[in-house]
Amino acid sequence: MAALSSIHCRSYSYSPFLFSSSSSSINGQQFQRINFSSSGISKRFLPAKLFSQSRKNSYHGVVLMQDGAVAMPVNPVENEASFKKVKDGLLSSITSAEELKETAGFDVNKDESTVIITVVGASGDLAKKKIFPALFALYYEDCLPKHFTVFGYARSKMTDAELRNMVSKTLTCRIDKRENCGEKMDQFLKRCFYDSGQYDSEENFTQLDKKLKEHEGGRLSNRLFYLSIPPNIFIDAVRCASMSASSANGWTRVIVEKPFGRDSESSAALTKALKQYLEEDQIFRIDHYLGKELVENLSVLRFSNLIFEPLWSRQYIRNVQLIFSEDFGTEGRGGYFDHYGIIRDIMQNHLLQILALFAMETPVSLDAEDIRNEKVKVLRSMRPIRLEDVVIGQYKSHIKGGITYPAYTDDKTVPKDSLTPTFAAAALFIDNARWDGVPFLMKAGKALHSKRAEIRVQFRHVPGNLYNRNFGTDLDRATNELVIRVQPDEAIYLKINNKVPGLGMRLDCSNLNLHYAARYSKEIPDAYERLLLDAIEGERRLFIRSDELDAAWSLFTPVLKELEEKKIIPEYYPYGSRGPVGAHYLAARYNVKWGDLGAEQ
Amino acid sequence: MATRLTTPCSSSSTNFSPSSSFNNEAKLFTRFISMPRKYGLSTWVSHIHSKTHARKHFLLNSSNEHPLNAFSLQDGLAGNPLAKERIEPPGKERPSIPMSEAEKEESTLSITVVGASGDLANKKIFPALFALFYEDCLPENFTVFGFARTKLTDEELRNMISKTLTCRIDKRENCDDKMDQFLKRCFYQAGQYNSEESFLELDKKLKEKEAGKLSNRLFYLSIPPNIFVDVVRCASHRASSANGWTRVIVEKPFGRDSESSGELTRCLKQYLTEDQIFRIDHYLGKELVENLSVLRFSNLVFEPLWSRNYIRNVQLIFSEDFGTEGRGGYFDNYGIIRDIMQNHLLQILALFAMETPVSLEAEDIRNEKVKVLRSMKPLKLEDVIVGQYKGHGKGGKSYPAYTDDPTVPKDSLTPTFAAAALFINNARWDGIPFLMKAGKALHVKRAEIRVQFRHVPGNLYKRNFGTDLDKATNELVLRVQPDEAIYLKINNKVPGLGMRLDRSDLNLLYRARYPKEIPDAYERLLLDAIEGERRLFIRSDELDAAWALFTPLLRELEEKKIFPELYPYGSRGPVGAHYLAAKHNVRWGDLSGEIYE
Repeated sequence: MAALSSIHCRSYSYSPFLFSSSSSSINGQQFQRINFSSSGISKRFLPAKLFSQSRKNSYHGVVLMQDGAVAMPVNPVENEASFKKVKDGLLSSITSAEELKETAGFDVNKDESTVIITVVGASGDLAKKKIFPALFALYYEDCLPKHFTVFGYARSKMTDAELRNMVSKTLTCRIDKRENCGEKMDQFLKRCFYDSGQYDSEENFTQLDKKLKEHEGGRLSNRLFYLSIPPNIFIDAVRCASMSASSANGWTRVIVEKPFGRDSESSAALTKALKQYLEEDQIFRIDHYLGKELVENLSVLRFSNLIFEPLWSRQYIRNVQLIFSEDFGTEGRGGYFDHYGIIRDIMQNHLLQILALFAMETPVSLDAEDIRNEKVKVLRSMRPIRLEDVVIGQYKSHIKGGITYPAYTDDKTVPKDSLTPTFAAAALFIDNARWDGVPFLMKAGKALHSKRAEIRVQFRHVPGNLYNRNFGTDLDRATNELVIRVQPDEAIYLKINNKVPGLGMRLDCSNLNLHYAARYSKEIPDAYERLLLDAIEGERRLFIRSDELDAAWSLFTPVLKELEEKKIIPEYYPYGSRGPVGAHYLAARYNVKWGDLGAEQ
Repeated sequence: MATRLTTPCSSSSTNFSPSSSFNNEAKLFTRFISMPRKYGLSTWVSHIHSKTHARKHFLLNSSNEHPLNAFSLQDGLAGNPLAKERIEPPGKERPSIPMSEAEKEESTLSITVVGASGDLANKKIFPALFALFYEDCLPENFTVFGFARTKLTDEELRNMISKTLTCRIDKRENCDDKMDQFLKRCFYQAGQYNSEESFLELDKKLKEKEAGKLSNRLFYLSIPPNIFVDVVRCASHRASSANGWTRVIVEKPFGRDSESSGELTRCLKQYLTEDQIFRIDHYLGKELVENLSVLRFSNLVFEPLWSRNYIRNVQLIFSEDFGTEGRGGYFDNYGIIRDIMQNHLLQILALFAMETPVSLEAEDIRNEKVKVLRSMKPLKLEDVIVGQYKGHGKGGKSYPAYTDDPTVPKDSLTPTFAAAALFINNARWDGIPFLMKAGKALHVKRAEIRVQFRHVPGNLYKRNFGTDLDKATNELVLRVQPDEAIYLKINNKVPGLGMRLDRSDLNLLYRARYPKEIPDAYERLLLDAIEGERRLFIRSDELDAAWALFTPLLRELEEKKIFPELYPYGSRGPVGAHYLAAKHNVRWGDLSGEIYE
């Protein structure tokens, strides 16, 4: 099976020729590799002289260069020769000789650049469960540069050893690569340090800066801050980091997690405040759903398969469903959630982002700015959401098999009279030429019967279906459906009608499917790994730009406000159920049937 | 999993509820009776079976002009495990036909296999008949007659047949019982193929079995083409049914060019009307060929794609992994083009490329197929490659050349391989190459349809990848045999942090989804002939059009004594096929090193 190239640091286990190289690779090589690719990686990663490079070229470069670099792993000893090889590999794609020179110039600096990743809020849950493990996975896969350091920063007093101890508990190696795991872990932990301090104290950050400088040892310093802290201290931390711990000669980037405000105003205020201290391209707003494998694949499917091209419009698509469900409730940690609710927590960001990716026009290129431009256009074309197009629900307690499941309001951290929706369904419309009149249905909920996230595309009926005449059942209901299951068990399948083998003429609905676990035995990387790596590389495609965020909020803010002002009471549904029936009525109004609640599966 | 509908015949129906379905049935019944008939010989009533044999109502389907009813009626009988599992019991769609004992007793069916001692009869026809019997697809009163020149007793015939009967793997129970029951219905009559007396004798015996009931007679001509007409004459004059229908199934070859085929048709028509002639092309009975129309016409996702706008080329591939193996006598007179291309592959092409028919009825479908055939650009010699296999030693074993076959002349130029590029000059397909390839003694046994789509215009990913994404286009593959499958090759991203594209298959492997054994093509076709369903049989004008397309080319090949390109036994065929494909900017999809190889 020919793979169609362009390989990141990650993919080598698939290509035999790459595999040999990776097995012998050491950090140095890997770092070089990254460095080469970094001509595209980002302006900030590079010395100032490279800043002039156009973004377009740089992206163009990234993929291909990495390909070349990975295919021909650079051996530090024969640096010159191998670089030439890489250079040759690049010739086809790089347009200006100047660029080449710059890349070459950069090569000289390679030993001098460092990356320090500071996890602000290191003792928190997200940090422990996701960020440190993702960093370790990147390290394990040799995706981190040679000179990298991980700093934990939080208020708690801790020694480096204590941090390492804490971090080590959550590190695991990928199933398919157990060897050296312990060793690698030790090596990784040795790169982890801790500094305690207040989030709003510039002195503390100055202290951190000092420590960072020690580790950088005078080399070019690139700094990535991951803000894994509550939103109310975002700005303080950004201020302090920017004022007192910015890199002097490299780039400084800040990854921010949701929530990005709770409505248009607060989001705008947050953006404004962030921009006091940071440039737009220093801000990396993470939406970890965009880092999911199948969401990434969505664009590939659309734009590299001719067969989907004619189908991707109102002419053939009847409706699109974006479904997210969790099979657990807030479980005692509803404090944060209660302030936001499911619409802000899932719909306004994750589902809306996927919708925008799904529905956007073909971008000029795969560059971050081109893609984000198209996404903004979708968001801005959307019809304002009306209250009657939204159904909200809240789970109530339920006894099943002798076990009592709590209601949302049983959560001690939630006010007894909370009206916060834990479930919501909404019908959205995009008023543009491609999608006019096609309902985009979203559904998100906690404490439902299954855990799943998927995109369902239901196609129209076959006009003048020949088989309709002969069959009692309404074939118009058995339309084609394309399902992209993001989790669990990544899969893509297309439901088609076919004939049941046998002497009769009986139609059946089967799936043409691609089950990832069967086809790709390797573990699929966590979304955080991809996003962290992208941030390090300066790839902004999967991060949310300020104007995207504004557009997303302006879509949802009015309806959220209305829900709250009118104190709309959520429809209650039992814990572990399929959600409030209101969602069906909402779907029925637009002549849609939820695809996930059919008899199937 | 929602399913819809209609399985014909087949075993006991569990959800059957006579009382509730009665009204329905009555209605249907009336419709049948009032239906116009082509045969004028029988009453519909008499075709209908009794409810005491609820499994066999399919006989109702013997209506010729109502596949519509045939379908839905058949549904009621769907009782195979699969059906039970996957069908929602749609009470309404499961009518059965209650009727009086008297009615059911009156109709009989005799199937006479002419050439009963032959290979085809033994390997395919009798086993198919038995399978139909096993599945309760044959009417209550049926008789199988063997007719051939050899003197045999009934017992000897039964003995001979019984050796080739098998039960489906998933239906072992009662197999022996059933076999015995079946064999008891088999009889033999020896006679000359051109002797009206012999057929008169046969007629007498048939009448005995029919015992005065309404008689329907099906003759299966499993004999060499030179005696087709004699047999048809004798059968028609002496052994036609007096009060029911008489149908004749004819196997290929239907002539060897336009003239001989026209002549054959003319002769047949002296004794038979068009709708008594059932020209069988067993490829049309294959499951996935049947499915082709379902895929096309019941899935919106394929609708916009089915034209020159999206399809770059279509490939129809047939290969066998063995040669003539000592039985090349017949083959040598025809060659692979007549044996496979002009019929099987061309028929599939026509089904693939036809416009949407007005309905699924036989005449509507055949009308559309004829239109395709008549729109085809005449075949040019330079668009055809012929080959012949030569001897080959592999792994210490030596494989014979075609001309090593003792039944083949040493200097034979008969092609055992051919590839051709065909074009349909209509609005839908103008300029799209339809490539056919058929060969014997190749490296694999396979039959498939490959649809290669165009490249993605302005492919975004192309800029970033060294490889030419325009070569990695989508492809839809319908594998007819072995291992029936449908798969659609798509480009997707390899999971991982990078952006690497890969070609994967969205696939439906029949064996995995439908564990049941897929019926042999002959079963379907025999059943269709019994039921008068002509969809899968070739009409005279279709046959004419098919010959008109190939005859000039065949003549030219023979007149110019074009030498076939020799290829080793067991190889991938002559390389000329690649050059032919290249000329039309096509790559053979089956020789590309993909996983399904």
